[in-house]
Amino acid sequence: MPDEADGRGPGGRQLSPEEQAAFQGRVSDLGDRLGRIKAQREADAHADLDSEMRGRGMAYGMRMAAELVAAVIVGGAIGIGLDKWLGTWPWLFLVLFVLGFAAGVLNVVRSYEQMQKEFTARTGGRIGHSVPDDED
Amino acid sequence: MAAPNAGTEGVGMPDPIHQFEIHHILPIKLFGWDVSFTNSALFMVVSIVLITGFLSLAMRSRSLVPTRLQSLAEISYQFVEQMMRETMGHSGRQYFPFIFTIFMFVLVANMLGLIPGFFTVTSHIVVTAALAALVFITVLVIGFSKNGLRFFKLFVPEGVPFLLLLLIVPIEIISFLSRPVSHSVRLFANMLAGHVTLKVFGGFVVMLLGAGAYSVLAPLPLLMTIAMTALECLVAFLQAYVFAVLTCMYLNDALHPGH
Repeated sequence: MPDEADGRGPGGRQLSPEEQAAFQGRVSDLGDRLGRIKAQREADAHADLDSEMRGRGMAYGMRMAAELVAAVIVGGAIGIGLDKWLGTWPWLFLVLFVLGFAAGVLNVVRSYEQMQKEFTARTGGRIGHSVPDDED
Repeated sequence: MAAPNAGTEGVGMPDPIHQFEIHHILPIKLFGWDVSFTNSALFMVVSIVLITGFLSLAMRSRSLVPTRLQSLAEISYQFVEQMMRETMGHSGRQYFPFIFTIFMFVLVANMLGLIPGFFTVTSHIVVTAALAALVFITVLVIGFSKNGLRFFKLFVPEGVPFLLLLLIVPIEIISFLSRPVSHSVRLFANMLAGHVTLKVFGGFVVMLLGAGAYSVLAPLPLLMTIAMTALECLVAFLQAYVFAVLTCMYLNDALHPGH
């Protein structure tokens, strides 16, 4: 609006200083309100994403537990089966139980990698609320 | 689910396990096998009918500007399509019907179970184990038919010294064999635990109402039940999603065993 610059209102009438001051006040008030709403929107979007990621985090946590336990159980079961078959109880069980634990850790690390990829893709690497560091 | 049927022990705590009981609706014997139509089978059929009905009804008009129902069907299509693209790239597109069927079945079965009085198909490990075994066998068949013996490269990471392979190959094999176990246990355990918790909190409401002056506390577990139901909706969706994502990842391994 070119009129504002030289202090003219609509219709070319010269605005009195009081009117100009009131107008400036309204404009900056509007700017403040817009800024607040925008910040609120951004915070809401961030909170939504955050709570969604928390839900996912829980699902992934359960997944990690299942991955670890499943591999230990499978390893132990194979060991018991082989021991029964070959009559070497309890040696193969002990070995395969430990290998099963290793496989479980491998499973957890792999699913963590995959989860990390997915999280970074969704949030751009920002998960949760950032807290200012003491050093800053 | 927190169904209104109180347990067998009268006024006391409603039995939280009662909801998982399977009973025959139509007893059938076939060559000495019990293949009766049970409440579990009924809800599987209901799930399938709902999915098929929903999709064929929604896509009947095939309009360029979708109706509400059609856009819902398109959203579910796009969701699975995007998930497959992220986990498998473009090589896995031909398996879309398989993944979509599994995702929709698990999702609808989970969601149906949240309606009070309904049976949750996926809260039984037989069902989830059958699904996981289906995926496991599919992965084996596709892996061997596409790659032949190269499929065994899945167990042999590249660039590892021979001595370490003696240790790593068994670990990789156990890791591979543990997949159907964790795949099935996770879905089953989540659904079971969630529904037991809901029923227990629902039972607290009933018990407090019958406890004289303490009945003023009854709304507290009720609020908890409401919050838990919301959480369970999320879990029902997430578990279907996780189940489908894992199926994609396993299929991807079958297509590209060399990592």
